[in-house]
Amino acid sequence: MVFNTGSALLDAIVLAVVSKEPEGTYGYKITQDVRQVIELSESTLYPVLRRLQKDECLEVYDRECAGRNRRYYKVTSRGWAQLRLYESEWRRYSDKITGLFEGRTDIHSDEGKDNPEGSGI
Amino acid sequence: MNRIDFMKQLESLLQNISPAEREEALQYYNEYFNDAGVENEQAVIEALGNPAKVAENIKRDINGAGYGDGGYQRPQNRAVVQYQQPASGGQQANPPQSKTESLPTWAIILIVIGCIMFSPAILGIAGGAVGTVAGIVLAWFGLIIGFGATAVALFVVLLVLLVTGIMCLWVDPLVGLALLGGGLVCGGVGILFMMLTVAMAGIATPAIFKGLCRLFEGKNKQK
Repeated sequence: MVFNTGSALLDAIVLAVVSKEPEGTYGYKITQDVRQVIELSESTLYPVLRRLQKDECLEVYDRECAGRNRRYYKVTSRGWAQLRLYESEWRRYSDKITGLFEGRTDIHSDEGKDNPEGSGI
Repeated sequence: MNRIDFMKQLESLLQNISPAEREEALQYYNEYFNDAGVENEQAVIEALGNPAKVAENIKRDINGAGYGDGGYQRPQNRAVVQYQQPASGGQQANPPQSKTESLPTWAIILIVIGCIMFSPAILGIAGGAVGTVAGIVLAWFGLIIGFGATAVALFVVLLVLLVTGIMCLWVDPLVGLALLGGGLVCGGVGILFMMLTVAMAGIATPAIFKGLCRLFEGKNKQK
C-alpha cells in the first residue's frame, strides 16, 4: 500500500478487530486479522497491543487452551468509546478526501475556515 | 535460525528493559509461535524479521512512551476474575451495547439506594435550609413592622404629651413645658423610626430583591 498507516489508525484497526470478538481474541489471530486489512510487519503489533493495554483500551486475561496458556485481549468500555471516536473521525476524514477526489468538495468556498482534521491519522 | 534461537536472541536483546516488560514481550512471542504452529515456524521467523528489529520495536515503544523500568504493571488480576469461566456459547453472543450500558445501570441503582438511605439527612438539611431562609425573610419583615409600630406608638405618645402638656401649662407652667419637651423628643425619635421603616420597606427591600434576581439571572446566563 502506498499510504502510511499512522499509529492512531493502527490503534483504530486493532481495536476494531478485537471488538469483533465478544469473548476476546489473542495475539496471533489479531495479527492475521489485521493483515487481512492492511499490510504490516508482524513485529509492529506487539507494541500496539501493549500501548492499548496500558491506555486501558484493552484488557487481558489468560485462558487455558489445548493444555497451554493463551493471553486474550478484550476491548474495555474505554476502548469502545475510543473506537467510536476513531470511527466518527475516520468517517469525517475519508468523506472529505473522497469528496475531493470525486469533485464533490468545493475547496474554494470555505477556504481557511475549515481546518483539515485527522492530521493524527 | 529456529524458534529457540530466535527467542534466545530476543531475550538477550531485551536485557536493558524492566524484567516485567521483558517477560511480557517474551511470553507474547512464545504464544505467537505456539499459535502459528510448528509447521509455520520458519514462516513466522521470516515474517517477524530478525530479533534485533523485533527488540527495537518493543524498546522504541517503551522509551517513546516515557516509561522507565518498572513503570508498567499489567492489569491482569481484574480480568482473570471476570473471565475465569468462559461461556461455551456462540462467539457473537452479546452485542457491545449491552456491555457498555450495564455499567451506568448499577451506578443509577446505587445512587437511588443511597438517596433513600440518606433521605432523613437530605430532608433534614433541605428543611433546615428552607427554614433558615424563611426565618431570615420573616425576621426582616418583623423588624420593619416592629419599627413601624414603634414609630406609631411614639407619635401617639407625642400627641398625648402635647395635649396633657398644654393642659398643664395653665396649672404648672414648668411641668407643662417639661411634658411638651418630652413629647417633642418622643416625636423626634418617632420620626427617626418612621424614616428607618420607610428606608427598609421602600428602598432596601426592593433593592435586595433586585440583587437576588440579578444573581440568579447571572447564573442562568452562565449556563
